[in-house]
Amino acid sequence: MIPILSHTDAQTVNFAIWAVVLPFAAFVLNLLLFNKNRIAALVSTVGIVVSLVLAIKVFTSVWNAPVIHAQITWFIIGATKVQAGLLLNNLSVLMLLLVPMIALPVHIYSIAYMKDDEGYSRYFRYLSLFCFSMLGLVVVDNLIMLYAFWELVGFSSYLLIGFWFTRQSAVMANKKAFIMNRIGDIGLLTAIIILFTLFGTFDIQALFGKEGFVQLSNIAAGMWAGPHSAIPAVWQYVAFAGIFLAVAAKSAQFPLHTWLPDAMEGPTSVSALIHAATMVAAGVFLLGRVYPLFIESELTILAIVGCFTAFMAATIALTQNDLKRILAYSTISQLGFMVLAMGIGAYASSLFHLVTHAFFKCLLFLVAGIVIHQMKHIKDDNNLDIDPQNILHMGGLRKKLPLTFIVTIIGALALVGFVFTSGYLSKDGILIQSFVWAEGKSAVFTIVPYFALLTSVLTAFYVARLVVKVFFGEFRLQKVNPHIHIHMGDGNWLYKAPLVFLAICSLFPLFSNSPVFYEDAWIYKSFLPSNFLVRENIYHTIIPILVNLLAVFVMYAAFAFYGKRNAWSFPQTGLLYRISYNEWYIDRFYNRVIVKFVMWFSNLLYWFDKKVVDGLVHLFTRIGKSLATIAAWLDRNIVDGLLHLIAGIVQAIGNFARRFQGGKVQYYLYSMLLVLAFVFIFKMIWT
Amino acid sequence: MNLLSLLIFIPVLFGIIVLILPSSMRASFKYLTLAATLVQLVISIVIYLNFKTCPGFGGINHEEQFQFVQKLPWINLDLGSMGKMQIDYFVGIDGMSVTILVMSALVMVVAAISSWEINSNLKGFFALFLLLDMAVMGVFCALDFFLFYTFYELMLLPLYFLIGMWGGARREYAAIKFFLYTLFGSVFMLLVMVGLYFSVTDPATGNHTFNIIHMMNPKNYIEGSVFSTLSHATILGMPARTVGFVVLFVAFAIKVPVVPLHTWLPDAHVEAPTPVSIILAGVLLKIGGYGIIRICMCIFPDAAISSAFWVGLLGVISILYGAFNALAQRDLKRLIAYSSVSHMGFVLLGIASATTEGVSGAMMQMISHGFLSSMLFFLVGVVYGRVHDRDIYNFRGLASLMPRYTVYVMIAFFASLGLPGFSAFVAEAFSLAGAFKSSSVNGLLPQWMAVCGAVGILLGAAYLLWTLQRMFFGTVSLKGGEIWKIALTDINFRETAALLPLALLALGLGIMPSLVFGKINDAVLAFVSFLQVK
Repeated sequence: MIPILSHTDAQTVNFAIWAVVLPFAAFVLNLLLFNKNRIAALVSTVGIVVSLVLAIKVFTSVWNAPVIHAQITWFIIGATKVQAGLLLNNLSVLMLLLVPMIALPVHIYSIAYMKDDEGYSRYFRYLSLFCFSMLGLVVVDNLIMLYAFWELVGFSSYLLIGFWFTRQSAVMANKKAFIMNRIGDIGLLTAIIILFTLFGTFDIQALFGKEGFVQLSNIAAGMWAGPHSAIPAVWQYVAFAGIFLAVAAKSAQFPLHTWLPDAMEGPTSVSALIHAATMVAAGVFLLGRVYPLFIESELTILAIVGCFTAFMAATIALTQNDLKRILAYSTISQLGFMVLAMGIGAYASSLFHLVTHAFFKCLLFLVAGIVIHQMKHIKDDNNLDIDPQNILHMGGLRKKLPLTFIVTIIGALALVGFVFTSGYLSKDGILIQSFVWAEGKSAVFTIVPYFALLTSVLTAFYVARLVVKVFFGEFRLQKVNPHIHIHMGDGNWLYKAPLVFLAICSLFPLFSNSPVFYEDAWIYKSFLPSNFLVRENIYHTIIPILVNLLAVFVMYAAFAFYGKRNAWSFPQTGLLYRISYNEWYIDRFYNRVIVKFVMWFSNLLYWFDKKVVDGLVHLFTRIGKSLATIAAWLDRNIVDGLLHLIAGIVQAIGNFARRFQGGKVQYYLYSMLLVLAFVFIFKMIWT
Repeated sequence: MNLLSLLIFIPVLFGIIVLILPSSMRASFKYLTLAATLVQLVISIVIYLNFKTCPGFGGINHEEQFQFVQKLPWINLDLGSMGKMQIDYFVGIDGMSVTILVMSALVMVVAAISSWEINSNLKGFFALFLLLDMAVMGVFCALDFFLFYTFYELMLLPLYFLIGMWGGARREYAAIKFFLYTLFGSVFMLLVMVGLYFSVTDPATGNHTFNIIHMMNPKNYIEGSVFSTLSHATILGMPARTVGFVVLFVAFAIKVPVVPLHTWLPDAHVEAPTPVSIILAGVLLKIGGYGIIRICMCIFPDAAISSAFWVGLLGVISILYGAFNALAQRDLKRLIAYSSVSHMGFVLLGIASATTEGVSGAMMQMISHGFLSSMLFFLVGVVYGRVHDRDIYNFRGLASLMPRYTVYVMIAFFASLGLPGFSAFVAEAFSLAGAFKSSSVNGLLPQWMAVCGAVGILLGAAYLLWTLQRMFFGTVSLKGGEIWKIALTDINFRETAALLPLALLALGLGIMPSLVFGKINDAVLAFVSFLQVK
């Protein structure tokens, strides 16, 4: 299985390895040398820059070229050789490029954003660790290493969410994030073990590649048969369920999505990189890696869950007031779109949306960081007791933060899926294909595209609400406290450059020559299956137009609602509002039912351990002790008693006999006579 | 001089020196002990490096494939008509023992370092410590059942006194509980041992023998003897070989410990002084797992195969039960004690699967748990030594007070909960993979056991992360107030010297599992094929 690599391929592999390892080198360097030193930022940034350059090189040589697969033996267990290696195909090199491309602006931004923080160097150390794990995740060629990096990504996210570890909410959030991700990890591990049992290898290329084991396997007569062996078919479904859990945990899909909004406790720059652009996309990436595993019905489940997640998250985003929380739910919603796309077979669109979303959502988070930073300054300068993330305090910031405002508009339009943006190309593609998919299926399935469409409209609304509340109207904080000092601005180039770069990447030219037809996008084209749909369907024309018209209308409506003074506002009561505001009560359910139950059960078992298991041991002790007491009593009273009895008898006889030895001769004579008489009488009777 | 014998008896030499030296030189005892363990570590590393691996060195049931063998007649009595009583001093190692030896030697060094905190009756403590050290090493090398049993029982004596004299408030209770529990197992083991002795003859001399390797070969059993594979003798109406297996299993299961025979462990750990906790968790528990592989399963492979389901089930129960119990604890040491129960469950599950993946995973888990539990108990000892309190609720925000300490705690916790890159991940993943694979390879364990075992990994994350959040993060708030704040200084050089090697090894084994797998693989393959022959 060790392919002979040509010289150029070997070079590409080396570049890819270095691209992955450099952030790790930065991490180690920062850990050992620059523990408390501000140079850490420079080290990490240089690491990611070089990584980006190498990634570009790798990308250009592998994109649309034959797959490169290089591996060495890692260890041998029994008769199984476990290999470690790289698998460079379109999917992995696209991710390999995307990650440093997003990470670099975030690094630059962070230099300014985190400059006053005590843990400045620690922050960059963690950031480098994350980049390493993420890059490793996308290039490795076997499931064991995939799992390893999968968890390392979760671990570095844990570190970064709990970056301000003295904050109670932050450490609660990172614990929750890790444990929910652990649920997914178990699923993934189970799936890996099942695949290993059936196919005897961890190699992704051998398993999922063209003519791979998974493709050659089939389910028949209740058995899932691979080329060498067969196991009951139920394990195929379990494997799917495991993968699904993994995806749901990492990509925040229902029902494991609740960690992501809480994860916003981390620094905003982290949210931008990890919880918007890269780590959360890992689930979708995993779907892409193991795609051949799924059978028809499983894909449908994916589509339904993705659609539901997208819809649910969008409804929640409508009523939230925390700037980052809105964006978090929006991320969940968009990830739902990607999973939906995977489910309906729109593989190419899903990955395309992953890429475009990474740019514009990262952009929006960085904007949120700036806004929050400014609000925090105002709060600190004036000793106000406000939540700097609450959008109800904001308003009218477009004049104070002009550049931020412009890039926000670009990001927001991309998120809505407005024409000329990258989001239009990717999201409308998903919508169109979902309509095509539902056609000819039963009526139940047609709900899916309509809900997706509805979600798209809701997206337009909450995005418009967010933008209007933050940037339009008047500055509400100032209105309430007219005397506060305000000096705010876009900040220096460390802030501006990343924003501008990401904004440019959120427009269509990076992805396609044509602003209107998603089929022309180069990422889309490269992932197409051979049997791809030609542009023949009526949906291809209607949907984009419909979506854009609706979006314009809805955005205008939102502007009208929130932008004008004394405008009519939605009633803040009612069941629907409460469901949305309380995030569908899902988290509350988890806390009150599941967590409570687990704690109750563990206390019950501990009680059982103390009282029953240990109680039995103590019972044995007590029985032993009682037996010993009885034995002691017996020993003292019966065994010894018998002895004493004999002794007593002997003594009594002795005492009795003693009286005959009184020293008086008469007594002796008398007793002699008595004995003689006795003997004579006895002898007479005897004979 | 045979390296193994040197390894075993070096501590005795130092122990005698400790006993001879006057009490006025008591300050030197700890250095002597440390020196003894360090010499041992060097010897064990030399053994590890010179340990040959190739299919010809599988060991298990082939006496000639063992390495570093020394065989001397020990007790030879001519019993006239009853033949000759033959007990050998017979030591040797194969892949199953070599990595455990290195691990034990290192754990002993760490335990010696943590003995700095002992400050009463030093001569007694260190003499017993060294005696224990000898017995432990002897157990892992002995290939004669009588010798094995001698070492096995010899461990009990020092441990009883080490817990009972240098322990915490309820030390006497814990010590006697530990002692009786273990004795309960080993008394019955003695009976089986004697039964085996009378059933097995040395093919070369025709005498009865205690040689463990001869006991693995059915041809060596006397026809009609109680444990002979052919005679189908019964004890109390049950097949004799099954009874023998169960008795030996119970004896070792107490050591592992397997639920429901585990309740001595939390008490012993909570009361034992830190160095003894380290030895207890790091080495003693492994004797259980090692004994099950070397003695139970190899001498009674037929019974082992037929009881594999129950062994695996006990493993899964231990994993889940231990984890749930850990979740309910508020004493940090007790929490870690229960987590040991949970982690050792993977060993049992892996062994029961009788697949190469499972057994390798189980061996790896033993090594990995040796390092990690030593590290965990050492870390608990750090806090306990400073403020004499271990209640999780009495601490908060330790990360701000003791940052370096917290780093090691995080390493130990995340390694224990199976973060990839650390040894426990490889171990648990392969134990589970073996357990899952078992049903399609040999049909011993049903697949759901592996899935249930995986849930243990989730619970592990829950209780360890909860502890981290509750004790280490957040703003500083201590029950003891300012006094504690002053007392809780960050770890010093000595403590770092103990923790760093453990952390590095846990990491090293996670990244290069071949360090262990490479050495054990031949033995594992031999073991698995040996089980299948029956």
